[in-house]
Amino acid sequence: MSGHGSAQKGLATRAVQALALAVSFGVLFALSHFTADVESRLGAMTAIGFLVLAGTLLSELLEPLGLPHLSGYLLAGIIGGPHVLHLVPHEVVKQLTPVNTLALALIALAGGVELRVETLRSVAKSLAYASLIQTVLVLIGMGGMFLLLARYIPFAQNLELRPLLGVALLWGALCVTRSPSACMGILSQTRAKGPLATFSLGFIMLSDVVVVMMIATAIMLARPLITPGASISIDDFNVLGHEILGSVSMGTTLGLMLAMYLRLVGGQLILVLLALGFGVTAALKYVHVDPLLTFLATGFVVQNLSNQGPKLLHAVEQMGSVVFVLFFATAGAELDVPLLKQLWPIALALCAGRSFFTYIAANLSSRLAGDHPVVRKWGWSSLVSQAGLALGLGVVVKNSFPSVGDGFGSLVIAAVAINEMVGPVLFKMALDRTGETDTGAPVARPSLPPPPEPAH
Amino acid sequence: MSDGIWLLLGLLLLAYLGSNLVGGRAIRGFGLPSGSEYLVLGFALGPHVLDVLGRSLAHTFEPVVLVGTGWLALVVGVGYTRVADRWINPGRAAVGVLLGALSCLAVAAAVYLVAPQLGGFQGFSRLAIALGMGACASATTRHSVRWVVERHGARGPLADFAADAARASALVAPLTLAVLFALAPGGALPSVPVLGRIAITLGFGAGLGLIAALLLGRDFRRDESWGVLLGTGLLTVGAADRAGLSLLGAMIAMGLTLAASRHRLEIKAMLTPTEKPVLLPVTLLAGAYVNLKLPTSVFLLVGTAVLVKVATRLLLGLALSVGPARGTGADFGLSMLASGGFTIAAALAFSTRVPGVASDAVLLFAVVSTILGEWLAPAALRRSLERAGELHAVDPAEMGRPSDAPAELVGRESHG
Repeated sequence: MSGHGSAQKGLATRAVQALALAVSFGVLFALSHFTADVESRLGAMTAIGFLVLAGTLLSELLEPLGLPHLSGYLLAGIIGGPHVLHLVPHEVVKQLTPVNTLALALIALAGGVELRVETLRSVAKSLAYASLIQTVLVLIGMGGMFLLLARYIPFAQNLELRPLLGVALLWGALCVTRSPSACMGILSQTRAKGPLATFSLGFIMLSDVVVVMMIATAIMLARPLITPGASISIDDFNVLGHEILGSVSMGTTLGLMLAMYLRLVGGQLILVLLALGFGVTAALKYVHVDPLLTFLATGFVVQNLSNQGPKLLHAVEQMGSVVFVLFFATAGAELDVPLLKQLWPIALALCAGRSFFTYIAANLSSRLAGDHPVVRKWGWSSLVSQAGLALGLGVVVKNSFPSVGDGFGSLVIAAVAINEMVGPVLFKMALDRTGETDTGAPVARPSLPPPPEPAH
Repeated sequence: MSDGIWLLLGLLLLAYLGSNLVGGRAIRGFGLPSGSEYLVLGFALGPHVLDVLGRSLAHTFEPVVLVGTGWLALVVGVGYTRVADRWINPGRAAVGVLLGALSCLAVAAAVYLVAPQLGGFQGFSRLAIALGMGACASATTRHSVRWVVERHGARGPLADFAADAARASALVAPLTLAVLFALAPGGALPSVPVLGRIAITLGFGAGLGLIAALLLGRDFRRDESWGVLLGTGLLTVGAADRAGLSLLGAMIAMGLTLAASRHRLEIKAMLTPTEKPVLLPVTLLAGAYVNLKLPTSVFLLVGTAVLVKVATRLLLGLALSVGPARGTGADFGLSMLASGGFTIAAALAFSTRVPGVASDAVLLFAVVSTILGEWLAPAALRRSLERAGELHAVDPAEMGRPSDAPAELVGRESHG
């Protein structure tokens, strides 16, 4: 992901970028129309090339409008994807799934490296209040809103009260999820430093753990409401406990090994990260350990138990400059545009409701915690984005409750699509407004420092 | 965990080892210049010996191999005009291209003549196998020259001539394959004449290279540049393959265009370290692809091609010994027998358009040429340099840094 703070680019540069963008679309358009019957062995590779190039160029062209690069990547994927120009077919988008694995590993690693103990300590009170109030208020508020709007939601119209309560509970729980990837993407682009950046990163990374536990709880409570004859099973918690403890212990071990490698060898980090992203992720899934949490712990250990954090962060950012473009462009290509067209009014209403409750909760928790004025005013802005985590948990819910799963899954996709597009724009706008965006020359960014004391 | 993941990890490990062989000290310390040991390892792991790397598993990685071959062509193209800190000498480069072209022609002619009798190749497959083997006979690996020169601290006109000629000879294989792919029936551009298809191959690569060069613009920044280079590179490889054009031809054209851009040194410094990490996994998989279940006549055809290649190089060496390689006899010709990863890449690229027995035969020829070159060429070059009095001419203090990239750019993280 390219850094912020590049020199102002002239008209000639923009013209070249527009031309290159047109060429990349043109090449793929010509290929898909004139060689439609030719089976390509390199369909996925061509798509990667196109998405990386088009994503990079579109993000640059949208920069003067103040939009984050991430929006450009998403837009490139949406336009080139299977639902608009069909330059990247659906099956090729599916083949690109391994990129998500790698990108999520990098995002979690970078997130962990950013979490320094002293930083966390400095915002511990804020995080505690925010976690509690955001979770409770958004869960109850959005569950209630779902109940109120149920008559307009196609799959919920004919549900009886009991299952409807269960589905509303699940919807409320899903609304608490945030997007670590969007947060890291924006911070990586803007190289922002300050109270808002520190709070957002700390909250979103920690909320990952809270959300996973909450979804498990919600599924456990919703099961007897939705499925006749089912009862509450605490087995889910048993599995969850193993997963979280396993993730932390694996992450700690990996972190110590990585720190040792960085200290003693230190070279070829791109290959090491590839091996972690693909190989270690596969191994972790094999032993039923959560890769996201594991890599978060890995990065945290490297940062806080060694002095190798900056080196790891620099390597992740270097690799992320390509991988993140592809990750978000693929996410754009995966967006189900026809479904969004169909469900947008209700999805938009639910998204607006979520933003509203998030804003109220952020305001309330900031006041109680005595946060920096910047956080009090803009803390909500980073919490609107939703992406892969919400979609993943949506699939878990869908599989757990086949009777309402399809409709529920579709609504999740439509709502996440809106939040995915709007959230990053809001967060970048907030960072720009608060002056936390780094407008200087691009340099390797150190991990986020503790925020300054609020000026009373 | 699936076999694919294990293989991927193995290839990453190999790439890791390869990336450690980029340094000057390492290249003199261990490893063969042609990478033959990885070919042999691949063959040993492949279906003919241990069957750890079965045919279907190896073919799962075919897209990676094809992109790898294209990437190698890009690296070769970007570095084509410069050897270490200096420009390539045009005269010596012309001789290098001529050497490659003559070897290509001789082998292609011989194979074309005997192919109907040895293997029963007729029609297009006869022409294809001739041109394919010709392409694989043309290049001299610059790594072999560099290996000998650095290992023995050689310096002088002959060392420079060998380095320039080897680098220049790499142009012949991609051009030959561009012609061959244009001649092949089918493909996505049936209404375009052959010359047009060749022009599209080279023009497409050059065009996207130009766009990449323009995008890298005034403020060259490494992080953004990777996106541009990877994006344009993969788009070129994928589009060329889909259209039935030579991806090697398109990518070398892209590389040559970038080599003419204002940021050529920075781009070369970025791409050069990626060569070995790409080369070794590709070489290993090529070893696994080798098929020995071929008719005896095909082995005879491969043997004929090898003999013609050796004879041609000997004759060319003798001819050069009265010119730039004065006093070296046939040894200089033998030293130019060295072939390596790029030859293997040409054989793999050939298989994308001409599958079947012809493809197996060309890959076998490339592998045999590489192993034979490893056996004969470095020693012959050392003898040539010794006769020319150019061995041990470099101060040992200068022998620590990699020679394939300008010293001032090696390891630099960003440029702005």
